[in-house]
Amino acid sequence: MPSTDQSASPPALAMHGLIKDFGGVRALDGAEFEARSGEIHGLVGQNGAGKSTLIKVLAGIYRPDEGRIAIDGQPVSDLTPHKVDRLGIQFIHQDRLLVPSFTVGEAVFLGRERTAAGLLARRRMEREARALIAEQFGVELPKGALISELTTAQQQLVQIVRALAQKPRILVFDEPTAALVKREVDRLFAIIERLRGQGITIVYISHYLQEIERLCDRVTVLRNGRHVGTVSPAATPAREIARMMVARDIGELFPKRQVTPGAPALAVRKLARRPHLQEVSFTLRRGEILGVTGLLGSGVKELVRLLFGLDKPDAGQVEIGGQAATLGSPAAAVARGIALVPEDRRGQGVALDASVRDNTTLASLARFARGGLVRRSEEDGETRRLIEELRIRTPGPDTAVRDLSGGNQQKVVIAKWLARRSEVYLLDEPTVGVDIAAKVEIYRLIGELVEQGAAVLLVSSDLDELAGIADRILVLYRGTVVRELPAKDASSDALLAWSTGAMEAA
Amino acid sequence: MAQATLTPAQHRRRRLPDLVFQMGLPLALLLVVLFFAWSSPAFLVPSNLESVLVNNFTLLAIVSIAMTLAVASGGIDLSVGTALDFASLLFVSLIAAGQPFGIALLAGLLGGLGAGLFNAFLIVGLGITPFLATLGTLFIGRSVQQLTTGGGIPIYLSKAKVPEAATFLAHGDILGIATPLWVVTILIVLFTVLLRATPFGRRVTAIGVQPAVAWYSGLPVRRDLVLVYLLSALVVAVAGLMLSATVNAYVPSSGNAFLLNAIGATFIGTTLDRRGRPNVPGTVLGVLLLAVVANGLLLIGWNFYWQQVGTGVLIFLVLVASFASRRWRKAG
Repeated sequence: MPSTDQSASPPALAMHGLIKDFGGVRALDGAEFEARSGEIHGLVGQNGAGKSTLIKVLAGIYRPDEGRIAIDGQPVSDLTPHKVDRLGIQFIHQDRLLVPSFTVGEAVFLGRERTAAGLLARRRMEREARALIAEQFGVELPKGALISELTTAQQQLVQIVRALAQKPRILVFDEPTAALVKREVDRLFAIIERLRGQGITIVYISHYLQEIERLCDRVTVLRNGRHVGTVSPAATPAREIARMMVARDIGELFPKRQVTPGAPALAVRKLARRPHLQEVSFTLRRGEILGVTGLLGSGVKELVRLLFGLDKPDAGQVEIGGQAATLGSPAAAVARGIALVPEDRRGQGVALDASVRDNTTLASLARFARGGLVRRSEEDGETRRLIEELRIRTPGPDTAVRDLSGGNQQKVVIAKWLARRSEVYLLDEPTVGVDIAAKVEIYRLIGELVEQGAAVLLVSSDLDELAGIADRILVLYRGTVVRELPAKDASSDALLAWSTGAMEAA
Repeated sequence: MAQATLTPAQHRRRRLPDLVFQMGLPLALLLVVLFFAWSSPAFLVPSNLESVLVNNFTLLAIVSIAMTLAVASGGIDLSVGTALDFASLLFVSLIAAGQPFGIALLAGLLGGLGAGLFNAFLIVGLGITPFLATLGTLFIGRSVQQLTTGGGIPIYLSKAKVPEAATFLAHGDILGIATPLWVVTILIVLFTVLLRATPFGRRVTAIGVQPAVAWYSGLPVRRDLVLVYLLSALVVAVAGLMLSATVNAYVPSSGNAFLLNAIGATFIGTTLDRRGRPNVPGTVLGVLLLAVVANGLLLIGWNFYWQQVGTGVLIFLVLVASFASRRWRKAG
């Protein structure tokens, strides 16, 4: 339980016994959270620990299955985003959500537009918005600028001003620094501290333990949807907090396999796409699982995009099978034998309304064509073979992928690349959103891939997963490889310490 | 995992509403045919049926095939009329100028293709959404025609100038079946196969269903979309040539008359597919439905404006019926 001082006034925000299930996956399992009035309260946890679910419950986006919420000691229920707004709770999201084509004034006053004689008072809104920003932050935004013309940091200021215009009692920052540079982070922290000085309660969610240490009065750690503890960062070393975040009772989850790495399959030399990826080099061999981890903003996502031809690098070379490769588009990458299992499975991995067969053969249709026509029977044959090999649970090849579970959808993505006979597999968070049994199945599949000579780049923020199945692990921090560890030496708290920058601080 | 996966038995049970959903369009066509056969003795006679096919069905079917292709790729082609008119304009102008039929035919096809190339440039090159891009092409095409024809004056071909081949294309027959029906049949078969059974067609469908997945699967999305709009314009150009040969004239902006019916037929046609996707056979049935209704209402003495109302109500009923059964399927 969070420590509560009964003699003091009730906590500004109290959430107790929250339970939330998503189709069999328990995202919140009795989670607790309490923030005192006028404090900066950190919220940390690994991916999947329940942070974002908790915040979405608070925002009225998700309705909890069980649990109580109180604001200043007053119980509230049946929250909707509108009601939450009225209660004086505001949210600053990392990637939310200003209309790009709006002006600053329109964005700040969206939903409560200033009017004169029933008409929008545009000039007044622009003037007031700019004045508010100048007064709060001492920043002059370009006159008449559209949101899309502002930097990320400036957009964030607009969001904050928009929130402040509501005179909030509680302000929630969700990963606010992920897209900011150092100088902007410093300014943001000064702003947050000043807001605390105005008596506003701040909930601050971050992966970066350094930030928690520097900014927060207290921090609550979540793990597997449960409350692990609430501590003072001043009195608790970052590595101790990291330890609280990591669960460690799932060793047998990771099937063991014996593969001796072979020839280099993918070699990356000084690859860069600034500002997010500074300079990264590594070699991935056939039969090897190379883990890559790093937090939002570390450059991991950019690395994956470069390797699949989704973005073009500023500098550096890529070699595939010992030959220089230009990966100008996903089509070019796929032609060189690269496969991507994207993190956004439902948006980018599978076509939900298409059948298992249509998804499986999508990247290799030419293989099934005779005389220019795709042979349904050959497609069915290959699909059935892969359904069996990967143990995909589906009534048949003709079932829509939408009707499959998350784990089985993920297997369909892998089947698509097996049908394409891809050799280098980029797996981006391959087990996000699948239940524990499906995770084990996917780990087994990854093992079989490398046993057959494929090379696997496993991008994951699940550190136990990395330590469990990768051969080596690269840790990226702010765009560079800060550490390479053999998996046998990589404990998940060491990985977390490196990726949060706690090692540098220590 | 288990609760999200259907057993084969559940799967079969879901098929029944699927069938109702899919059968809506053929059923509607059948009912409409029966109704007109009952209400007008002039309907169900060979000469009238041929007239329905040649006069009401052929050109709209060709334009609708093009529309189906664009809609299947996740876009739309509002500029079918422009491609049709350009083909007609070049064809008739060259014939009028005394050029041989073959040259005029080729020029007509290229004229239509020009509109498609412009669309492809706007959509794939500049990244403008298909709706806006083809709308722009539609407006530009109309202006170009007004400018080149002195404000919209038709070009008529005198009897003497009309080549025999053109007359054959519009009014001839092969083995007793009208030439236009051969042309439209060939196109229907060709594009049914193209969309359903070639790698290109399957890619186009994937792009239409979920473009991000197509892109993330390494498909040549941009190239395929260029081809879609080129093919669409080329097919429509064929309709333009046939229209010119039928009326022995180029009438400015006559192609736009097909636009709304082609969109209607394409979307009516999606009801024939289990997953609600655009498909050529469905589109053809949709065109047939529209053609039969237009002809039948004329026979039972409704005037043109009431025909429009009748057609609108019918489209509405078919769509409501099949979407209702689809909702039922989802709920069940």
